[in-house]
Amino acid sequence: MTTTSSQPLFDSAFLRKLDRLALLTRRAMVGDFQGERRSPRRGSSVEFADFRPYVRGDDIRQIDWNLYARMERFFLKLFVAEEELTVHLLVDNSASMDWGDPHKLTYARRLAAAFGYVALSTLDRVTVTAFAAGAGGQLRGVRGKAGALPLFAFLQRLQPGGAGNLADACKRYARTAINPGPLILCSDLLDPRWEDALRALGSRPFEITLIHILAPQELRPQLDGDFRLLDAETGEAVEITADLETLQRYQEHLREWQEAIERFCHGRGITYVQVDTAQPVEEFILTMLRRRGVFR
Amino acid sequence: MSLLTPLALLSALIVGPLIVAMYLLKLRREERRVSSTFLWRRMVRDVEANAPWQRLRRNWLLFLQLLLLLLLAMALARPFFLTTGISGRNLIIIIDRSASMAATDVPPSRLEAARRQAQTLVDQLPEGGRATIIAVGGQMEVVAASTTDRRQMYDAIRSIRLSVGGRGDLSQALALATALAAREPDSEVAIISDGNVEIPTDIRVPATVRYFPIGQRAENVAISAMALQPGPAGQTLFVQATNYGPASVVRRLDLYLDGALFNAYELNLGPDGAADAVRTVIVDVPAQVRVAEARLSPAPGVDFLPSDDRAWAVSSADAGVEVRIVGPGNRFLETALALLPGITATKATTTTVSGEAAPQITIFDRVAPETLPAGNLVFIAPMRSTNLFSVTGVVDFPLLRPAPIVLEGQAPPLLRNISVSEVNVLRAMRIEAGMWARTLVEGDGSPMLLAGEREGRRIVILAFALQDSDLPLQVAFPLLISNIIGYLAPGSGLEASQIVPGQPLAVAVDPAVTAVRVIRPDGRVEAAQIQGGQAIYAGTDALGPYLIEQARDNQVIDQRRFAVNLFTPEESRIAPASELRVPQVSGLQQAVTREQVGRQEIWRWLAAAAILVIIIEWLVYQRSGLAYLWQRIRLTLAARRRAA
Repeated sequence: MTTTSSQPLFDSAFLRKLDRLALLTRRAMVGDFQGERRSPRRGSSVEFADFRPYVRGDDIRQIDWNLYARMERFFLKLFVAEEELTVHLLVDNSASMDWGDPHKLTYARRLAAAFGYVALSTLDRVTVTAFAAGAGGQLRGVRGKAGALPLFAFLQRLQPGGAGNLADACKRYARTAINPGPLILCSDLLDPRWEDALRALGSRPFEITLIHILAPQELRPQLDGDFRLLDAETGEAVEITADLETLQRYQEHLREWQEAIERFCHGRGITYVQVDTAQPVEEFILTMLRRRGVFR
Repeated sequence: MSLLTPLALLSALIVGPLIVAMYLLKLRREERRVSSTFLWRRMVRDVEANAPWQRLRRNWLLFLQLLLLLLLAMALARPFFLTTGISGRNLIIIIDRSASMAATDVPPSRLEAARRQAQTLVDQLPEGGRATIIAVGGQMEVVAASTTDRRQMYDAIRSIRLSVGGRGDLSQALALATALAAREPDSEVAIISDGNVEIPTDIRVPATVRYFPIGQRAENVAISAMALQPGPAGQTLFVQATNYGPASVVRRLDLYLDGALFNAYELNLGPDGAADAVRTVIVDVPAQVRVAEARLSPAPGVDFLPSDDRAWAVSSADAGVEVRIVGPGNRFLETALALLPGITATKATTTTVSGEAAPQITIFDRVAPETLPAGNLVFIAPMRSTNLFSVTGVVDFPLLRPAPIVLEGQAPPLLRNISVSEVNVLRAMRIEAGMWARTLVEGDGSPMLLAGEREGRRIVILAFALQDSDLPLQVAFPLLISNIIGYLAPGSGLEASQIVPGQPLAVAVDPAVTAVRVIRPDGRVEAAQIQGGQAIYAGTDALGPYLIEQARDNQVIDQRRFAVNLFTPEESRIAPASELRVPQVSGLQQAVTREQVGRQEIWRWLAAAAILVIIIEWLVYQRSGLAYLWQRIRLTLAARRRAA
């Protein structure tokens, strides 16, 4: 189940719809360059923030002359600084993502592209990182609408890798990332150490959104009979006899697992969104993510 | 238990390993690539806690299939048990359906038990075996004649109904069985009865006769006689109850007059055979009573034959028979006739052929008319020939004895309770009658008493004059007269209104009568046939009072009542006989009871069990689909309940 990379990620009609969206952040974040995001710093914009007495070396253009006329002392008028943010897109392209119908990695790609495009259209900086052994890659710091093409090209080139270690990859990323900002992790989280991975990301002030992608075949397996299940990443085998009881127990486990993730995320301020790849990407973005407050 | 074809078990030895081998081959699992075994591993860890059970469940199908194989192999081996039953290929089943088979000591009834026994015998019949099923009791009936069709046999067995009329008489049935058995080798006769049957002594059955006794208890109290007669004060009711059981019992006897309770008596009845086993109740009842009914109070556990606990008697007060005596006058005859209830005797010196209707019975005493009147006729010592018979001379001192045909068969109704051998006769006419007449008593080669039917009327000829014999001085005389009147005017006389089940009702009817209706005890109305001045109704199979109405132009002109009662001591004595004496060609004098020769094959049961196992196996195989279906149904129902 490999994808055809030449297939366009979106059509233009959907991109126009994406133009109307904006990534929501819950708190102000520090950036490097001026942008459209509220920053905790003071800067030049139209939104008034505070006054401050003039000290030597301040830009005299920012002195509030009206106030000087009244008080005969120099005050600087401070405005809310608006800076750009770095939106971190993390795409899990391990072998387990190369599965499912509709394909999980394709889904993750298109989601990442949508997030990236929305971020670029609001003048944010976007960094895309794929982590899988052998097929990892990073696209750093694309900015502005012009960055959309390299972003899409990067995502289309993305190939599924081998066995990925989600936890290690996340730790590495948390160590190396600069300018923590909104972080979107698109993964199926099928890794026994998923908690470590989320904990590692949570150690930096990222505003994490976890898009948990599962294929319908994982949510509702249609198996009947005796099977030897082979792990796509490790090649490990598990023998099962699938009957209704087994499948029911599987679904119970699945639900417990999803609830555990949700609890974990809730405790750490991570926005957790589940998605079934059977749901069209467009619909998911335009309704579900808006409803969950990820987009505006 | 033994096996008919033990070699069939080898099939299990061959097929069994095959099934196991196929199982081992099949146990290789289908491989399937999944995104991750992460979730599955978690689940399998959970399941492995009860792994032995899991492994066992996986082999359910194997167990079931081996069980199925075992059952089929056993069925092929045809195991059987030895039972009491039959071993022949041509089976003649004689089922007793006489009144005593209604006894309820074997629930629900002896007849039902006999039917079941017959079905068991049919089950034991080997493939291709034939069976003839004969029902005795009342009219013998061959319900299934030499058939190989089991369904037909079962239907025939089911169709056998109780026949309360007549005794269970095996002579006809055994004669037929003898004829059938002689035709085919390997025949067997099975008699299913309670033993209360008449068995002929002159038959030798050329086959094994097996007797399957039915019934366990002997306790029974019956109303053995009942009559309603004109008495000094209105009418006298006479009821006799008899205990046929081995122990003394106390029973209540309820008397109903025209449907209303009249009186009740407590009867202490001694055991069968004791002097006090019979109790008689004689009571005066009003003259206008038409139907009297006697009922013994129900006593389950003490009385196993309910059908003889009820009896009916009807008043004969309104039943008149007109008798004309033509002759010089006969005091004996007149006195005897006067004693009979309901008889109006008139005297005449000659046959007056006037406009008035001829009487029902005309007695010609020592005269013979030129022209014979209508109605039934009695000739006593006719002096000359008529067109019915010819008088050829005189016999002096004939020695009377019953005719051979009378000796062979049962006593004809005319000679009931009469012994003629003690009668001395001085002189009798030598009479030669046509084929219609049957000689009942003969003397020195000449018929002394003849009876028969000709041109639709009954004729009795007594060859000697009463004055020329000592017959009128004997006890037999009034009985003979009563019998003669009873024969000539059925439905009159002492016992006329009492008949046994199955006996046809015959009533002399006026030629002007257009229709005769019979109202049965159950209220049903049926039409009787009118033939030769008599209305005949044969459907007297139910016990109880019958009402016969003669109608002319929709107007009832005459009513007669009859009571049909089961006054048969042989049937009321329900004690089952454990053995039956049936002489056989093999020299055996006794029917064989309880010999273990029957083969009760059980392969059908095994095959049925195999079908069951197949169904279970299929259900186990489809269990997940079924469970899914069940869940769907449950969800749908729950949704509907929520919606409602």
